[in-house]
Amino acid sequence: MTAAWTPVALVRDVPPLCVMPACVDGVELALWRSATGRLAAWADRCPHRGMRLSHGFVRGEALSCIYHGWSYGSDGHCLRIPAHPDLEPPEAIRVPVYHAVESGGVVWVATEAPDVPPPTVEGSPLRSLTVEGAVDWAAAGFSLSGPVARGHLSGIGVTILVQPLPNGRQVLHALAEAATPAALKEASRDLEALRRQAEEALA
Amino acid sequence: MILYDYVLSPDCYKVRLLAALVGAKLDLRAVDFHPGGEHRSAAFLRINPAGTIPVLEDGDLVLTESAGILTYVAARHGPDWLGDDTPVMRGRVAQWLAFGHRLSASIGKARTHDMLQKPADIEACRKAGVAALRELEAALIDARLRGDSFLAGNRPTLADIACFPHAMLAPDGGISVDPYPTIRLWTRSLRALPGFIEMPGIHRLHELKPEPVGTSA
Amino acid sequence: MTDPVRDEWYPVSLVSQLHHAARDTQLLGEPIRVTLRDGQPLVTASGRALPSQARYGHVWTSLGTPARPLFDIPEADQPGRRLVDVGLVRVKCSPLRAVENFLDIAHFPFVHTDILGAEPHTEVGRYDVAIRDEVDEVWATKVRFYQPQAAKSAEGGITTEYMYRVPAPTVSILYKTCPPRPGEWDVITLFVQPLTETLCEVWPWMALFDDVTPLTDLIHFQQTIFLQDRSILENQQPSLLPLDPGMEIPTRADLTSVAYRRWLKRRGYTYGAQLVAA
Repeated sequence: MTAAWTPVALVRDVPPLCVMPACVDGVELALWRSATGRLAAWADRCPHRGMRLSHGFVRGEALSCIYHGWSYGSDGHCLRIPAHPDLEPPEAIRVPVYHAVESGGVVWVATEAPDVPPPTVEGSPLRSLTVEGAVDWAAAGFSLSGPVARGHLSGIGVTILVQPLPNGRQVLHALAEAATPAALKEASRDLEALRRQAEEALA
Repeated sequence: MILYDYVLSPDCYKVRLLAALVGAKLDLRAVDFHPGGEHRSAAFLRINPAGTIPVLEDGDLVLTESAGILTYVAARHGPDWLGDDTPVMRGRVAQWLAFGHRLSASIGKARTHDMLQKPADIEACRKAGVAALRELEAALIDARLRGDSFLAGNRPTLADIACFPHAMLAPDGGISVDPYPTIRLWTRSLRALPGFIEMPGIHRLHELKPEPVGTSA
Repeated sequence: MTDPVRDEWYPVSLVSQLHHAARDTQLLGEPIRVTLRDGQPLVTASGRALPSQARYGHVWTSLGTPARPLFDIPEADQPGRRLVDVGLVRVKCSPLRAVENFLDIAHFPFVHTDILGAEPHTEVGRYDVAIRDEVDEVWATKVRFYQPQAAKSAEGGITTEYMYRVPAPTVSILYKTCPPRPGEWDVITLFVQPLTETLCEVWPWMALFDDVTPLTDLIHFQQTIFLQDRSILENQQPSLLPLDPGMEIPTRADLTSVAYRRWLKRRGYTYGAQLVAA
């Protein structure tokens, strides 16, 4: 069963004028933020010659493809084709747009129109990390509910948002309660240990 | 200063990049690494018996490892890039210069294997490359927790130069950089530095330039 | 009955690299070995000798029986020309995507920034494209583009004139304005070896009028240009070049690639291509 909202990044990792790749429900996305802070999740493919938009660049409120500089505006329609600066690009040239919101310091994406908001989560952004295997949440002392795992690492309360990827991989987006930098560093090390255990179990 | 150089070499690029950032002039001598194998020629082995590039000549001085060349160029033309003269900074910068050689040996070798068909144990190189990138990501997170936005402190140093090219070029060797958001943000801040220059495989950051207005006739 | 894919000539090695060792490689998914025997190229597949020849610094071979001789580049025999072997680059992409990228100029300001093009000079004016039936080749002429540093031999920005020619499905030739010899064309080619439908090795080669620039600098300039394209080529989807309209949207700047795709389809050349727009 696919969840309505999938966590894809910590808000802090998608600053204005940034674009990065993400994957939700097997769909490859370009996740980006405009100059004014507007977040968007689009299909990671320029309709011109199929180049990944996640390699592109953001100027103002538009995302442009690195290959020929075609730029696209807020609802995914093409604003400008640099090879033909006087041409009004046809309406048909359009990038599929998905749903993206920020909540609780996390960026969430939905591929279908969701009818519920993302889950409420607590804590400040710690880090994201990609794991090539299944995490044994129970053994780690975490309780898992949908994409949200809650537990403790080095005595700090930690909330981990789980983003499934194809082929049994996943990304963990971790939030932590207020703590000293030294304690947060320990929690970061604990996450790496969790990853090691998951990947060694796979080997 | 003469730099024996190959435009596609990330280790040579580290020197070209530092020189551009500090405004130092380099006289580039192109070495036909591929397809010519000139670095293995009798004439080049007299310049550097190790047969490697980059090599820097400055008067009578000859330096043959990118870590040494970077240190010299920074000391002469841009000492801020050495970091503060404290034991902590000296240690950190030296650590990352050494780490840079691990990146060359893993990611660098995977890249020349995939792109130029140079022999390598590709699975071992990729595995070591992934491990190194994970360490780099973790170190940048540790740095951020300390309040630092660069590897050795709060301003860029040789530590960042030593790691930057291979962190960007890993996909050339079949190693994705998608799993490392902190590396992505750190590379963006380096690419936005005044005087930054690219190498083939690292695109210009077009977002730094405003959208041109009017027609382009 | 001609097999449009197998009965073509393909580049498989630099002649110069065979003096060191034989080359084991792949062509259209089949293992082949390339070597020199008494100074002549010898190409074998599972021990069976294939047709082969040395031309333009490279060894050419075929898994089938080519109906025609290898295409001609008369400039290769012109006195005073520097002939430059640039060396192979392997790319994880369809051989046809590699050729099509070489035919495109609209990407110059974004991918070859401040070398072959720069904003705001992004406009691609009208040019002429034809499939020349008498030679069965695709040609584009009167292509013009403003460039900050078009060639190692150029000083400052010039408007470069180009012609493009596709004499074989995985070969692209460009002719460009030659600053030291107005009236002559510099010739730059991309010979593409299809290893599989999604893996190729490109062999750039040049025939230039330039007595000044060191050979290594010429090689590195062309390697720079290709390496800037490589990360584009490895990130286009779908991997197989669509020969039918639908998935991808061309504009007037893309006339050469439109003609190339139509020509491939007409020839029945589908290696590295897909026919139904998904």
